[in-house]
Amino acid sequence: MAKKNSASSSEKAKLSPRDERTLGQLVGLADAVVEAAEKRRDPHVDIPTRSLSNVRYNQTKRIIEMGRNTTRRQLFNLSQAKSFMQTLLVGSGCRQLIEQGKTTSIRGLYYLLKHTIEGTKEETFNDQSECDPVIEDVEVILNSLREEMHLYAQKRGDMVGEIVLEDSGDEIDCARMGSGGYGIPSIVEPEVIRFKRCDAKFILHVEKDTVWQRFNEDKFWRKHKCILSHGAGQPPRGVRRMLHRLHNELKLPVYCLLDNDPWGYYIYSVIKQGSINLAYESARMAIPDAKFLGLRSRDFERCSLSPSVRIDLSDTDRRRAKQIAHYPWFEKKKPWQNEIKRMLENGFKLEVEALISKDISYVTEQYTPARLAEQDWLD
Amino acid sequence: MVKSKRPKTKSRPDDSTPSLDGLAQGNGPSDAAPVRRRRATAESMAASQRDISVSEFFAKNRHLLGFDNPRRALLTTVKEAVDNALDACEEAGILPEIWVHIEPTTSGRFKVGVQDNGPGILKKQIPLIFGKLLYGSKFHRLRMSRGQQGIGISAAGMYGLLTTGKPVKIMSKVSVRKPAHYYEIQIDTKHNRPEIINGKGEGVEINPGQAGLKTIASHGIEWIEADHGTRVTIELEAKYQRGRGSVDEYLEQTAIANPHVTLHFVDPEGNQRTYARVAEVLPAEPKEIKPHPYGIELGRLVAMFKETKAPTVSQFLITSFSKVTPAVARAICQAAGVSTRARTRKAGRHEADLIYQAIQETKIRPPSTDCISPIGEELILKGLHQVVPGEFYAAATRPPAVYRGNPFQIEVGLAYGGGSSAHRVTREELVELLSESDSRTLRQFLATTFDGLGLDAADRVITEAKVKTRVSPGKLKPKEIDHLHEALRNVNLHDGQTMNILRYANRVPLQFQAGGCAITQTVIATNWRSYGLSQSRGSLPRGPVTLMVHMASVWVPFTSESKEAVASYPEIQKELRLGLQAVGRKLGTYLRLRRRVKHEGERRNLFLRYLAEVATATSALNNTDRQKLYEQLLLVARKRTSEADVKLDDRGRPVGEAELDLGANVLIVDPAERVTAKINGNGETIAENHGKEPRMNADGRR
Repeated sequence: MAKKNSASSSEKAKLSPRDERTLGQLVGLADAVVEAAEKRRDPHVDIPTRSLSNVRYNQTKRIIEMGRNTTRRQLFNLSQAKSFMQTLLVGSGCRQLIEQGKTTSIRGLYYLLKHTIEGTKEETFNDQSECDPVIEDVEVILNSLREEMHLYAQKRGDMVGEIVLEDSGDEIDCARMGSGGYGIPSIVEPEVIRFKRCDAKFILHVEKDTVWQRFNEDKFWRKHKCILSHGAGQPPRGVRRMLHRLHNELKLPVYCLLDNDPWGYYIYSVIKQGSINLAYESARMAIPDAKFLGLRSRDFERCSLSPSVRIDLSDTDRRRAKQIAHYPWFEKKKPWQNEIKRMLENGFKLEVEALISKDISYVTEQYTPARLAEQDWLD
Repeated sequence: MVKSKRPKTKSRPDDSTPSLDGLAQGNGPSDAAPVRRRRATAESMAASQRDISVSEFFAKNRHLLGFDNPRRALLTTVKEAVDNALDACEEAGILPEIWVHIEPTTSGRFKVGVQDNGPGILKKQIPLIFGKLLYGSKFHRLRMSRGQQGIGISAAGMYGLLTTGKPVKIMSKVSVRKPAHYYEIQIDTKHNRPEIINGKGEGVEINPGQAGLKTIASHGIEWIEADHGTRVTIELEAKYQRGRGSVDEYLEQTAIANPHVTLHFVDPEGNQRTYARVAEVLPAEPKEIKPHPYGIELGRLVAMFKETKAPTVSQFLITSFSKVTPAVARAICQAAGVSTRARTRKAGRHEADLIYQAIQETKIRPPSTDCISPIGEELILKGLHQVVPGEFYAAATRPPAVYRGNPFQIEVGLAYGGGSSAHRVTREELVELLSESDSRTLRQFLATTFDGLGLDAADRVITEAKVKTRVSPGKLKPKEIDHLHEALRNVNLHDGQTMNILRYANRVPLQFQAGGCAITQTVIATNWRSYGLSQSRGSLPRGPVTLMVHMASVWVPFTSESKEAVASYPEIQKELRLGLQAVGRKLGTYLRLRRRVKHEGERRNLFLRYLAEVATATSALNNTDRQKLYEQLLLVARKRTSEADVKLDDRGRPVGEAELDLGANVLIVDPAERVTAKINGNGETIAENHGKEPRMNADGRR
């Protein structure tokens, strides 16, 4: 480590004020260790707890917020010694990235920091799954964003639509992206992406690529003047942050077209209120005004679908549905309670693709326009 | 060599004792009876049917007494002589000091001399004691003593006579003022009768003072000048070989169980070794008791009826048995339907049977147990510590209990961490052991010579020494011996080392038939895993453990005449189990603590492992001096782990000095001091190392 660092410090990049702030926090983390050692105390870091027990639903802001609970990680605790060491290691890796003005994937950071501990046969990290939670820990300790630490995750999710934006100096017209769409990068902060021109009136977010392809091929976004995005299931941070920026900066309403199953409900919940694991980022990602357009439990009768498109609910699904019904942000909403209740009564779930059984373009030409026109959605 | 035999018990040669009944009948006419063809008539057979003398019987069946091979014979001879000497000294209230000399004469022959400082033997008793089988004082009384039947020493003399033709030489001195007696005796096997050879059948009288010394010199008598005592010298065909089941082992084990005895031993090479006494007090004198009704068999009861002088049945019961009060006697008679006033002389087999049945049904108090004199926990610790090197010692003496009407008491001592005797062997000793061994392979030699060294460990030693496995022990080259010696010291024999069990009955070591002994069986049946030792099902536990088990009883139930294994009575097994568990628990506590201290060490290592990484990462973050930070963290680590030493253990008690309070009767030796605590060359133990305050070294590792 020491070697790598001394070599890199010679080629210092220009630091932005945000980088300065992150660096300062990293130094603070190290200073605490030095101070404890000088006082012959047990060095520790307090990490805000990332679990359901430590999240709160903020009624007024309508987002999930992180509680005040912290978990103490000590060096001189048998079960925490290694993760304490890893925490500091991730910190030093981030400093290296910031000083060199480079970004890397979380997998890249894992490789950067992985080495054999001197005098042993033990590795600092055995695999990436050991490194990823530590990175999230450092994020919450520093109260910094992943991109502020010059890290990004694997990108996922695409968008097309009536918008022109500038990505790292390149102008991108999302109306001219062909069949593939514009891959939403994992960092979409204003430093990277700026919105140039926007003709869209709303955003339609669909659950997955297959549905998105259907809408894109039918040029739904052109007909209805909108932006069309998907997050390949649970949307990654980049997609959520992008939706958040589009919604807040361009005042575009967000409509979600998701499967009618607990997983779909949960994706909606994450977009709307934020996720439990990343509760500390809810303020920058959650879109409390997002609407749930479909599919609805009653669509099986309403659209008179063929019985063969039904998928039976599994025990896990039922359990998950009941759990979701008890989330504080769903608990007091009658329509939502009815929706979940009806799905459980039906005993089956429906995927958006089920609508294809009516007609290939049923979802783009009839279903979605009708819902939008009727303003028939769940909030 | 006093076998305190009382003249009043006259036993005739044809007087077969109960224990021999079965054996004698084996040669009786019923066996010789033809089955199909009639080869002889009853009359012709009668001509050859005659008495068998006990001496003759044993001369033919010497293995029954422990003379089955020359090596065994040597041990049995020494053993019988020493046991008798100790019994005599203790009975007379003298702190025993015993000299054992083994001297080679011609090839395959050894002269064994055993002398004690006992009370001596009266002139007329000497021939009977040493020249007649089944003559003694111990058989007919119920009292804790080493000898029982009165066979041992006379049988040894007989064996010597049979193999070398040399008589038994006895020198006995009762007092400084009175003349001593010197006899050369041989046993007349046909009539089980002593024959005095010297002094025209009268022996030699040695006057006290200067004149006596001259006589001793002129007759070539071996005698270490003492005020009183007895010396017996037997020449016999024997084989001297160290290792398991040897004279050395017997004496060493005797020293453990008899801490009040001083033993001097001169081996055939002329090396002298002394086991000095660590206790200056004789064990309490055991009392003689009458038999308890529950322990009596019908046949014996019938015999007692015939012998008794008591006129009535009731009086007979009261006077002949212990714990029979007039009320109990009445209850027995009532249950038997026999009048309390019934004449004993008229009582026949039928009445005896009725009374026998009634005894079993009547509630009688268990016999008093003050007739047993245990070694005591403190002395067991001292004895073990003197002879077995180790770091942890524990002892437990069970309260007395009763089996079949015989009181007995179980004592258990345990030494942990001694290491195998293989670690202590010097190169010279190894050369000797190798040359003496009759093992065919080196592997076998290692496994049979050293305690607690199993075949697995032997293989490891051989691999380490880079010697061929099947090489004969006598054919090793000097360089190979060097390698072997080195390997014996270096190979960790703790893994695969099995528990070493020292068995004792009335303070006498039992060296053979371990498998058939109730003690070994109970040790195997005990679950040692819960006390921190590893143990496979149905085998002895593993680990550097020496276990000493002592059974003290007025009548130890041996499985055979050679007194090598204790019979398994449920009552005995129960007491054994409880005793073993008592020391096991103490060992468990100690081992748990030791393991935890070791764990602390590992814990510290774990922290130390990450400290360098933490220091590097921190200095990369805020440019502090890496080395300085590392050293500071190191200090914190030391402080932290030492604090952790006194944290609570898994049972919620504080770890540390306080927890070492294992109760009484535990001795912990600081391994660092063990070097000095070891017995020095002359066998004198350095006394100040018998301190009992519990200690524990910091990292708990040896």
